[in-house]
Amino acid sequence: MKTLFRSGRVLDPSNGMDIYGSVLVEDGHIAAIGQDVASDDSTLIYECSGLWICPGLVDMHSHLREPGQEHRESIRSGTQAAAAGGFTNLCCMPNTSPPLDSPVLIDYILDKAAAPDAGGVFVAPVGALTKGQLGEQVSDLSALKKAGIVAASDEGAPIQNSQLMKRAMETCLQLDIPIMAHCEDRSLSSVGSMNEGAVSALLGLVGVPRSAEDIMVARNCLLSLETGCKLHILRVSTWGAVELIRQAKFLGAPVTCEICPHHFVFTEDSIHEFDTNCKTTPPFRTQNDLDVLLGALSDGTIDCIASDHSPYAPYEVDVPFEEAPAGLSALESTVGATLTYVTHTGMLSPLETVRKLSTSPADIVGLEAGTLQPNGSPVAQITVIDPNVEWTFDVAQTFSKGKNNPFHSHQFRGKAVLTFCGSEIYRDPFFNEERFILP
Amino acid sequence: MNHLLTVRNLPKPSLEGLLESAKMYKSLIESGRPVPQTEIRTVGLLFFENSTRTRVSFEQAANYLGYRHVNFSGAGSSIKKGESLKDTVLTLRASRLEGVVIRHSASGMYNVVVKYFEGPVLNAGDGRHEHPTQALADALTILEKKGQIEGLKVAIVGDVANSRVARSNIWSLTKLGAEVRIVGPRILMPGHTDKLPVSVYYDVKQGIAGADVVMALRLQTERMDSGLVSLGEYRRLYQINRQTLKVAAPNAIVMHPGPMNRGVEIDDLTADGPQSVIRQQVSNGVFVRMAALSRAFDQEETPS
Repeated sequence: MKTLFRSGRVLDPSNGMDIYGSVLVEDGHIAAIGQDVASDDSTLIYECSGLWICPGLVDMHSHLREPGQEHRESIRSGTQAAAAGGFTNLCCMPNTSPPLDSPVLIDYILDKAAAPDAGGVFVAPVGALTKGQLGEQVSDLSALKKAGIVAASDEGAPIQNSQLMKRAMETCLQLDIPIMAHCEDRSLSSVGSMNEGAVSALLGLVGVPRSAEDIMVARNCLLSLETGCKLHILRVSTWGAVELIRQAKFLGAPVTCEICPHHFVFTEDSIHEFDTNCKTTPPFRTQNDLDVLLGALSDGTIDCIASDHSPYAPYEVDVPFEEAPAGLSALESTVGATLTYVTHTGMLSPLETVRKLSTSPADIVGLEAGTLQPNGSPVAQITVIDPNVEWTFDVAQTFSKGKNNPFHSHQFRGKAVLTFCGSEIYRDPFFNEERFILP
Repeated sequence: MNHLLTVRNLPKPSLEGLLESAKMYKSLIESGRPVPQTEIRTVGLLFFENSTRTRVSFEQAANYLGYRHVNFSGAGSSIKKGESLKDTVLTLRASRLEGVVIRHSASGMYNVVVKYFEGPVLNAGDGRHEHPTQALADALTILEKKGQIEGLKVAIVGDVANSRVARSNIWSLTKLGAEVRIVGPRILMPGHTDKLPVSVYYDVKQGIAGADVVMALRLQTERMDSGLVSLGEYRRLYQINRQTLKVAAPNAIVMHPGPMNRGVEIDDLTADGPQSVIRQQVSNGVFVRMAALSRAFDQEETPS
């Protein structure tokens, strides 16, 4: 069985390739790549003129909510959303019920993700850094690693005790897995529900100051520098965090970081008054932060773009702002938002865009993905993006159970239109039938 | 149908209309003339937080208008069984209530209420955000005592960061032409005031100097993390008393939205003294709430 992705813009950041050409997949593996790739009568052809042919996208920060929170998302619905969003690989976060702190839970997730009715994407679990995510005792990470975790994190319940964080880093260094750290000093963020600033003062909401994020970024960078443990900082949102990370990298700390599209698009001023879809952790900040964040994305200080896919059931967000949970169901808006607000505005070239969405996150967590090179991945992972298609993001059309997303009804330019992971796992209506040629 | 959700988004003509209407009701009632009765309406008074004066004056306002009212409180309702605000509101609507007055601890909670109730919604206090009818009562009181609001200097003193009364008064008084100052210790001031039309003072004498109206706010001990403010220090530095009032304008009036912590943010003698208009604020609360309730059911919609 041969499949040819014919005559598109082939973007492979893993070796800096940006050419017009084709990619041939044979028996689920990438067999050839280049300008003159032969096909025969038995080849299924995807005509890709005007489209990008990229390595399958990698989301290193998603919440699949299973086990225990299936009213928000399931592994099945979440992986289907990932496929529709252009992802062939995702890391799922451990803040489930119970948290992912034992090998049997990792087995459960991997089994569910591999089931025929799931979305067909690879799922790489992130283990709970501490037992029960309680911030008291480091989990049995060696057993978790053996079961298949690619990183450890306490996600939204970050370790407050610095000594414990240092011990956790020493453990992860020995196991050679990164710690994914959400950086928040809980004594400062307290009961805050949006950025501390002029808008929170206006609306009578308790604010979350930038320092709540910056202090923990600084602490974690210093501990990473001291221990040598790989540290990946989740969802940066402040100019201060970016400057601290820049400095930590300069000093040689093995630190990487990600940004989520909502943090480079929205500010505290874009919050429609008390709209719970606009409640996130960390909160939307200010234009000043946004300017620095975009610059850091462009200059490489920010390594990658992640969705922080956080679906909730509709009833959970249909409450007063202060009582609402934070986050957005973002897998299916990430590519559209990134191309619209970062690529088409000239902040990132197409090749760098794909690097941030695929090659970099794969490298950070050590996945065999993020490349179009033959043998770079156990099966061919390819995402075809139409960079110019204009479409309206509508939560009613999404595969995710979560409909909470402030990008709802936004006009996007650019969309993943075909996702291939060993075989076709998603083909968008925008991928015109005429482009699809059966042998 | 007209909601009353915030003063910030209430256009000046609507604000003035409410005050005119309140004055009309006051003159009718004080002269013993009958209040024109319209269609009988049934309103729900839904209080998730404690209240004396707001609830009683809404009830009394409804009585004068000939409306029926139904009382709910968070404590005695299905809220205790975990019912959501949305379902509580749908229950009120299904029980054929025509309007709802609501107080709740979450800022902006009225979004959910407006979305599901269908009828008019009156905000009787949402978290730290706004308390529109209190601001109307205060504006009416100032108008009566000073003749006009345009050009007055108003000092709002105390726990502004946590005060919904302050957040409504700042907008009503500036819309009506007053200069508003907020006065208090830094830890009780909103840290960012770029979007609020106020000047900020941390020294009480500078803040009150020349003020025509001095409004003391209740020290919201139930909202504050413990240990932030020492009562003794607050009393010494920010209490409104005869000493501090010396720097205000000679005929300054003293206000307080209640309930007072006597001897903390305001001393006894001042609260009951000749400059105090605190009891008028409460009486006027009834008339402005009559205005708000009758406007709620106006056929003609005024911008809100």
